[in-house]
Amino acid sequence: MAAATLLDESALSVYVLLALTASVTVGVTLLMGHAGQVSLGHGAFYAAGAYAAGLLAKHGFPSWIALLVAPVAAAGIAAVVGIPLLVLRGHHLAFATLAMHLIFLSLISELSITGGDVGLQAIPPLGFAGVTLSSVRSYAFLSAGALVLVVALARNLLVSRPGRALRALSSSEVAAASSGVAVGHYKLAVFALSAGFAGLAGGIYAFYMGYLSPGSFPVMLSIEYIVMAAVGGLGKVSGAVAGSALVFLLVHGLSRISTLSGMPGTAPIILSYAVYAVLLVSAVLFLPGGLVAFVLARWERPGARSERAAPVSEAKPGDPANEGVTSKHGSFS
Amino acid sequence: MNAFFSYLVHGISVGCGFALVASGIIIVYRVTRVVNLAQGMFSVVAGFAAATLLGVGLPHGFAELAAIATAALVGFLTGVVAIAKPGTNPQASLIATLGVGVFAYAIEVLTWGDQPRSFSGLTGAYDLWGIDVPKQYLLITLVTLVVFGALEAFFERTYAGKALSACASNPYAARLQGIGVVRMGLYGFALGGALGGVAGVLLTPVQPISYDSDVSLFVNGFASAILAGLKRPVLGLLGGLVLGIAESMVAGYAKASYQSSLALLLTLAILIAQAARREALHAVEE
Repeated sequence: MAAATLLDESALSVYVLLALTASVTVGVTLLMGHAGQVSLGHGAFYAAGAYAAGLLAKHGFPSWIALLVAPVAAAGIAAVVGIPLLVLRGHHLAFATLAMHLIFLSLISELSITGGDVGLQAIPPLGFAGVTLSSVRSYAFLSAGALVLVVALARNLLVSRPGRALRALSSSEVAAASSGVAVGHYKLAVFALSAGFAGLAGGIYAFYMGYLSPGSFPVMLSIEYIVMAAVGGLGKVSGAVAGSALVFLLVHGLSRISTLSGMPGTAPIILSYAVYAVLLVSAVLFLPGGLVAFVLARWERPGARSERAAPVSEAKPGDPANEGVTSKHGSFS
Repeated sequence: MNAFFSYLVHGISVGCGFALVASGIIIVYRVTRVVNLAQGMFSVVAGFAAATLLGVGLPHGFAELAAIATAALVGFLTGVVAIAKPGTNPQASLIATLGVGVFAYAIEVLTWGDQPRSFSGLTGAYDLWGIDVPKQYLLITLVTLVVFGALEAFFERTYAGKALSACASNPYAARLQGIGVVRMGLYGFALGGALGGVAGVLLTPVQPISYDSDVSLFVNGFASAILAGLKRPVLGLLGGLVLGIAESMVAGYAKASYQSSLALLLTLAILIAQAARREALHAVEE
């Protein structure tokens, strides 16, 4: 938050996007780390929130109402879509979320109400009680505020009773179910909540940018969230923020370098894809606890082996060798 | 009526392409339990490679075979990343294949740029019973039939094929029999790469590819594989044909932009129905 006051104009625009991205990533990391579901389609919820806010604002609703509706709309879509979708697991769910993102993109490209391929232009700026947010700095505060809210909600969720149920889910759905945890309900709830986070960020994005198009929300966006969540350590809220910052700034820095004269025009794409890929594969293969946790542990106790339980549990339904029930927690009342 | 047949012909050849991608997905899945998100990328690499080799002067036939070999190598390397490290669970492998696919984007743009490419295959068309059948479509269909025949023979008749199937059915027992499961997995990935490569060199003359064509190839291939139940590669042919023809009809009679959503919705419906049935029976997912 302090950074929002201190940074200069050019850095602020990066800050806004970073804070918005981090908000979505918190949701993704909750989903992947605790409810154990891979979502290749969270960009769709970001887009849903953005389009919901944009559409309402353009049709005359007060902008702050439009902004409040954004997360609700996204969460609502997730709740509805999640009922059939969350029957699936593992790679089937991954594919289904990818399909969802693609279908959503197809829809907004086709419908005239969403402006088709061109999208929504000239979205009125955000304002309430006579105050209009028009400077980048104000959006920086707003997006930082949203991030703080999202992080607080996520943290609260994890320490609460539903949160313990969630963590049980990630260890073993079978164990959780046999302890009386309504597995299906919790998975749906996390799915909807994480979609809500994304929708809120999307709503702010709509007002910040002032225009939206399907091209703003490619499938690559969903993949970016996964990379950031993986880098930060699946399931760790602070990791989501740190991972987002790391990846975002790294890619941004590289694209600044790559747009210097002398570099080919495709250099930014090449570098950013390469960075995403290397980070993703390294995180997932070598550091399931996340790069960030790894670095921190080395910092604090040089030489000592850091002990992090891998949040992506191994007791997945597709693994017959691991049918043993592993419960890491006490009682679930 | 003519329109119907030309959609049908188009759908069959497109469906064959899907089927080849699907067979790659099925084989990798059967042998390693991993869904290879990079499968579409193998086709793209092969298409680009063939275009380059043909441009350099290599004759038709050789260029395509070299491109397919390249795709097989890329498949092998993908397998190394996905499964060679001991202790990688299928979920991590899935994400690893995603990472490989994204890395491949970087390499592809670096090597070939970000614009679509194509090369000419068989030009001209035959007139069969009044329908225009482009020769390339015939080639696609014929090659696909041959490939699937070979796959069927390989898996059912040869020892290597049966070893691969054994890894798929029961990795533990396979290991007990002395079959190196990881090695088999890598062979599976390489084979998947080759199959993707065949799809790539066959389809590129018909449809220019660019570095992001892999998404729709994967989506359609996976949809076909699901329709086939992710079991025997040969069934992928049926799945691919059904999907290809359905999409072609939708594109022809309704709106072309809805065809991918059709594939996706169909796949989702089947997946969910299968899973719901499984949950109801309390069966352990294989």
